[in-house]
Amino acid sequence: MNGAIYNSPNLQMKLHSSRLRWALCLCILFSQLSFAADWHDPISQLATQITAATGPSVVALEINNHSSISSAEIEEIRREITSSLAASGVRVWQPDQAAANIKLTLSENLQDYVWVAEIQPGTNDAKVILVSTPRPYIAPVGQNAPAITIRATTLASQTDPILDVAVVENTPPRVVVLGRTAVTIQEFANQRWSVVQSLPISSPTPLPRDARGRIFLRKDRLFDAYLPGLGCHSTNSNPIAMSCAPSEDPWPIQSQGLSAFFSPARNFFTGALVPGIGKQNSAPPFYSAAAIPRANYSLWIFAGLDGQVHLLDGINQQVLNRIHWGSDVAAVHPACRSDSLVLADAPESEPAESIQAFEFADREPSVVSPKLTLNGRVTALWSTPGGDSAIAVYRNASTGNYETLQLNLDCGR
Amino acid sequence: MKLFNLILIVAASLASAATANAATRPHYGGTLRVAIQGSPQSVDPTASDSAGFRSLKQLVFETLVKLDGRGRLQPLLATSWQVEPGNQRWRFQVRNGVIFSDGIPLDPASVAASLRTANPEWKVFALGDLVMIETSSPVPNLAAELALPRNSISRRGESALIGTGPFTVAQWDTAKQHLTLQANDQYWGGRPFIDSVEADLGKNDRDQLMLMDLGKSDLIEIAPEDIRRAQGGNRVVMASQPSELLALFFARNAQSDDEIHLRNALGMSIDSAALNSVVFQAAGEPGGALLPNWLSGYAFVYPPGGGGTRLRASHSVTWTLSYDSADPVARIAADRILLNAKDVGITLQVVNSENADIRLVKLAVPSADAETSLSELARELQLPAPTFSNSTISGLYSAESSLLQSHRVIPLIHLRTAVALRTNVHGLKLLLDGSWQLENVWLSSENP
Repeated sequence: MNGAIYNSPNLQMKLHSSRLRWALCLCILFSQLSFAADWHDPISQLATQITAATGPSVVALEINNHSSISSAEIEEIRREITSSLAASGVRVWQPDQAAANIKLTLSENLQDYVWVAEIQPGTNDAKVILVSTPRPYIAPVGQNAPAITIRATTLASQTDPILDVAVVENTPPRVVVLGRTAVTIQEFANQRWSVVQSLPISSPTPLPRDARGRIFLRKDRLFDAYLPGLGCHSTNSNPIAMSCAPSEDPWPIQSQGLSAFFSPARNFFTGALVPGIGKQNSAPPFYSAAAIPRANYSLWIFAGLDGQVHLLDGINQQVLNRIHWGSDVAAVHPACRSDSLVLADAPESEPAESIQAFEFADREPSVVSPKLTLNGRVTALWSTPGGDSAIAVYRNASTGNYETLQLNLDCGR
Repeated sequence: MKLFNLILIVAASLASAATANAATRPHYGGTLRVAIQGSPQSVDPTASDSAGFRSLKQLVFETLVKLDGRGRLQPLLATSWQVEPGNQRWRFQVRNGVIFSDGIPLDPASVAASLRTANPEWKVFALGDLVMIETSSPVPNLAAELALPRNSISRRGESALIGTGPFTVAQWDTAKQHLTLQANDQYWGGRPFIDSVEADLGKNDRDQLMLMDLGKSDLIEIAPEDIRRAQGGNRVVMASQPSELLALFFARNAQSDDEIHLRNALGMSIDSAALNSVVFQAAGEPGGALLPNWLSGYAFVYPPGGGGTRLRASHSVTWTLSYDSADPVARIAADRILLNAKDVGITLQVVNSENADIRLVKLAVPSADAETSLSELARELQLPAPTFSNSTISGLYSAESSLLQSHRVIPLIHLRTAVALRTNVHGLKLLLDGSWQLENVWLSSENP
């Protein structure tokens, strides 16, 4: 295995300036509020239709909120509707002096805000007016407390599952994305990621559910990709070409020269190791593994199918009964420390999905970072070949997209 | 690069901000044991069934497209589709690499044959890699209609219908009311996690709970009124959005203004709010709309009966009422309706006949697409197809209002469907129509 071509991130993002931090906060806040504040179209439509129904007159307006719109925004909406109606000759006044009563209910359905105005003009029959406007998803904002900090840099995002990502260049950002159906080469330009080239993966048999895969950059060609029961190799030509063939070759695990056989029709490693760890050439079947280099050996941590964390050091195998992690672990060597740390996702018992860093001073992990909370389940967590960062993929619960993060560990924040 | 850095960290901050449940990676293997009330005679994708059996059928048969959790169309057996101006001619690109469970590849001809059987009024034919659908009048929601279970793609095998889904029917014992589904190793979307599903059919609520308590069932149906009671122990209860419409349906059109008055009096007499709170333990949403509020957004415009205003019947009248006596929900609701009607001078006489004046019906909300749902409800109730003047919310409201103004149907309440599952069952999702998405289910050891 080699780590050629791979560069460590050049995206330092050092927010030493408090001004920049404030700018960041405002930017986040603005991004959250900007959707909700755009009520111009429905207010305009509603005012037009109410005016058409009542003509210039005096009306009473009662607003009920059955939607996810905040109470602060309701007041804003009330003001703007009142103002729009006044501009077209309809004055909002007390019910006892009004020619018509308007009961406006702010509701919503699966996709839209639905505003329903029930107009009761005196003793005549009520008239119902409806307008709708698309309803966005809005994610809440949280924060992390610094210790060792997990720094997350977003990379590519797409609707199809992402199995792994390799960073080709940082300037301009360019990545190779291993998806379930295609390998894509993507570039960040004009504030967004664009697919430069897509290489469909042809497999003689369907990939298993919860398919997994790895992609490694190579010196003599752009990449090799490993998928369950399938191996793919690219060319170094321009445009890049790719060929895939059935393969049960073991997959490289981290940069310690260890490979492991992946079950071709399942979502786990069988446990057979090549060439093995010291005298141990097998581990319990596992989902993921991380190595912590020590002076004379490497301590390997396996997230087993049995939900347990297993340790192998070349001679002994140990189960950490008290440790409850998720299925994905990856080792990262921060520039600021002499040892490697282990990133692990949260166990199912946790209310929220997260990734957290742990150190292994001896054989027991201890927490060294706050949790990086994610809005969706982690579907992949792999150490990068250089070992100084990890690639995490999670499925955004709000958008359904697969989002990729490059995770680095910073000290002393 | 500074701007780029800022964008990245903002995006990363947002990504790291919100929360979602943690989850371990799914395990392969095991058998899911299910007990349900329905006991149909065949595994026919075109038949209407309870949410439980519909869910099992969806493991075997697939549609060209599906609707996601926000009612938006997503590819399934079709990878893309186009409609020509006028909404009368549709093209669907059929997914490559899909095979029926007997090993025969899915192709446009087999898709066309299946859709022709389900929709004899359409002209459906294969054209190269495409399936073409032509209709005699515009059908703007045809794609959403194709997501309905009755439009599942199937092929007639030697003894039964065969599908392309993640499971195949391994055994179907109608005498013992037992269905066994086997994982389809060649499923185009990836083999399911569990190896098989064993379903005991025709089990009433009490039997289902007993099977779960004895450790013989992993997943059972829960009646709306039992949702709260069923919580706790070694099981988890999941309830859907209100997805089953309980309504009174008149067999014929009103013959006079007087009859319309009587029907209005009956509708206003039924205290749906009390029915919901007392009988169904608040497991539903009372209302006078055909579509639930989560689907339309305006259901509250049609208030439920039983409010302050009541009409007295202009003269004494007796109508016959029928309902599915095997359905405990219908039985307890009917008892209440009889009492409410009597209060305004209307006598309802329960009969076990298809020729009753009124039927108490329970209909699943058929689709997460509002217009398709309204059309399907009208179809099931044998009402005239609704006409949508446009695709806006106002067009939907007008169409629903027209159906209600036919005075053939009195909506009473939308009920939730619910299931109880053992704590080792993971990955189950309740869909908007109340059915269960089982294809991603996996099993862990009993006490993880």
